[in-house]
Amino acid sequence: MSSARLALLIGLLLAFAPAAQAGLSVSNDRTAIATKLGHKFVFHSTIRNDSTAPAGGLVAHLNVVDLSGHTYVDPEDWSSHRTRYLAPIPAGGSTTLPWPMNAVNSGTIGVYVAVLPRSGAPVPPTTGPTLRVRIQDRKTLNSGGILPLALGLPALLGLMALGVRFRRAR
Amino acid sequence: MSAAITARGVEKRYGSLVAVADLSFEVEAGEILGVLGPNGAGKTTAIRVLTTIFAPTRGSFDVAGSPHTCPTEIRRIIGVLPESAGYPERQTAEEYLRYHARLYGQSRLGARAVTKSLLDEVGLGERSRSLISTYSRGMRQRLGIARALVNEPKAVFLDEPTLGLDPAGQRQILSTIRRIAAERGATVLLSTHLLAEVEETCSRVLILSRGRVAAQGTVSEVARQAAAPRSGRLRVPREHVESAIAALQAVPGVEAASADGQPGLLKVTLAQTDGRPPEETMNAGLRALIEAGIPLLSYELEGARLSDAFLAMTEAL
Amino acid sequence: MVVVAGQELRDLWLGGRGLVLSFAFSLLLSVISYLVATNRALNFLEQRESVNLTLQVAIAVGALLALLTAADAVSGERERGTLESLLVTPVSRLEISLGKLLAALSLWAAAFVITVPYVWFLARGVGLVGNAIAVGLVVGTLLAIFLASFGFLISVFAASNRVSLSLSLLVLLALFVPTQLPSSAQQGWASDLLLRLNPMTAGEHYVGKIVTNGHAWSQDISWLVSPLIAAALFAATALVAGARFTRLRGGASG
Repeated sequence: MSSARLALLIGLLLAFAPAAQAGLSVSNDRTAIATKLGHKFVFHSTIRNDSTAPAGGLVAHLNVVDLSGHTYVDPEDWSSHRTRYLAPIPAGGSTTLPWPMNAVNSGTIGVYVAVLPRSGAPVPPTTGPTLRVRIQDRKTLNSGGILPLALGLPALLGLMALGVRFRRAR
Repeated sequence: MSAAITARGVEKRYGSLVAVADLSFEVEAGEILGVLGPNGAGKTTAIRVLTTIFAPTRGSFDVAGSPHTCPTEIRRIIGVLPESAGYPERQTAEEYLRYHARLYGQSRLGARAVTKSLLDEVGLGERSRSLISTYSRGMRQRLGIARALVNEPKAVFLDEPTLGLDPAGQRQILSTIRRIAAERGATVLLSTHLLAEVEETCSRVLILSRGRVAAQGTVSEVARQAAAPRSGRLRVPREHVESAIAALQAVPGVEAASADGQPGLLKVTLAQTDGRPPEETMNAGLRALIEAGIPLLSYELEGARLSDAFLAMTEAL
Repeated sequence: MVVVAGQELRDLWLGGRGLVLSFAFSLLLSVISYLVATNRALNFLEQRESVNLTLQVAIAVGALLALLTAADAVSGERERGTLESLLVTPVSRLEISLGKLLAALSLWAAAFVITVPYVWFLARGVGLVGNAIAVGLVVGTLLAIFLASFGFLISVFAASNRVSLSLSLLVLLALFVPTQLPSSAQQGWASDLLLRLNPMTAGEHYVGKIVTNGHAWSQDISWLVSPLIAAALFAATALVAGARFTRLRGGASG
């Protein structure tokens, strides 16, 4: 496709695409978080309604994305309360939501909040800035240390069982 | 002195099936009562009622003054050897007996002492630390008797204690039972279907048949109740057989006298209807022989035996 | 009761059966924990899930052992011919029942004690040791009491020991099956209600929420209601039934 035709297509799409919710904005209380594997952390996002009418029927949703390219991300693991159904925000008002999360894997993840209407014509969601979360690795399981326990405890119990049997048989 | 065990009209019913009906008897302290009956007569059911395993459907009983309405009190003062009692295979005799002694409220020290003494008494002292699984049947029965004595009971109930034992084992058990009554003064109720055991061991007998009492009393009283032919055997010198027969046949009450196969042996049949006890008639016969100058070499009055009474009474009901 | 419980415990542990069962149980936990510990791809949440799995196995197996021991309590004595000798002693049927139940529960206690070092090893890296052990103890004890009482109840009335053990196992399986259903089958109010009513699924759910999801104890406390009620109700029923209905013959003729 020639660049002229591509530009025309994009222009037409933009012209006919539904507009994002007017007056809504999402901001975070932080831009970055550094934490360690296994720790919990919280950030707050504020949803402002700068329009002249109340904004109702809104849903806020937390999204988690792997930024490092090698961190396994299952959003349910990171937060179990990712969807919030908002009460109406009056004109000029705002609402602040806490988002508690668990640092389940090490690496760098991006977290952002998207706000969209529950009904009406489909519009692009209003998204907040991406919060960069860096999770430092720490060794939580010493695999080498399991052997003494895995072998020792059954051995001890087995010897006790044998000892009792031998003693009874005498 | 009140009886050690008294039963009054005891009945045990399972729906329409009457296992025991109208059981009434009394046993004095120190007596050994033999409870005889064929299989299914209700002996075990009767014992289980008297030992409070089953509640009676009707009637009452008491053991050493404790009424049947106080089963816990009765259990404190009785010892029981159930029929085909099982034993924990993984325990030693010592552990088993100590446990039961403790169940009767003995202290640890007391239990230890009574265990040792009882095991020695029943001849298991040297095998007290062996597992019960290694015991023979006879040894288990002796262990069971020891357990029945662990609480110094006033009454001991033994249900078929010689079942499955060889003659030597039976003899040993019966000897122990006699000792229990004589030395400890305990009342013993011995349930068995072996007549010889009762004749040898018991002072009184109660015959059960189809759940009912067929006869009770001393062994000879019960034997006399049977309508069995009465007879005696005499031995006289061979040359006097004919004159002895003639002399005996002349005695009132002697129904018949005849040679009984072997040289000099005579069988005398006594009439059933003359009303005299058989001993009297036989004595008259002996007097007749003596007056006739016939030497008497031996004499035995067979009379009615317990086995005759047992068969007659259990077939009648 | 002390005498009966003491002898039952001696029979179980000094007789060797308890130690053999504990040995087998520790082998199972060793295999599970070794596989978990040597999994290099394990992430933090999966480590929490491993702790949860270990606890669930411990609770399931410990409760199962208590159930089977209790299911043998009366019907087993009947079949071995040792019940009559016990019934003619002045010890009350209630004391006998209590002693046997306590002995059955000792298997859960032993299973829990064996589980502690494994949970400590797996959970220390994720800061979960205290919480995991505590919740495992609470939920496991409630479920063990419930199942042991249930098994004992069956044992009192069963016509034979085989019936008692089979029925006990069947009921246990029926209680456990819902935990294996896919999560899609566990949606809806009816399913939720059934999961809450079933003490096994409710207990498993509660442990999972605390160990895997890091919830506070009070957050899902409603899930503990059915294990608590089941433990109390069945324990009381078992003791009353044991006191009144422990007889020489089981089944309808008893």
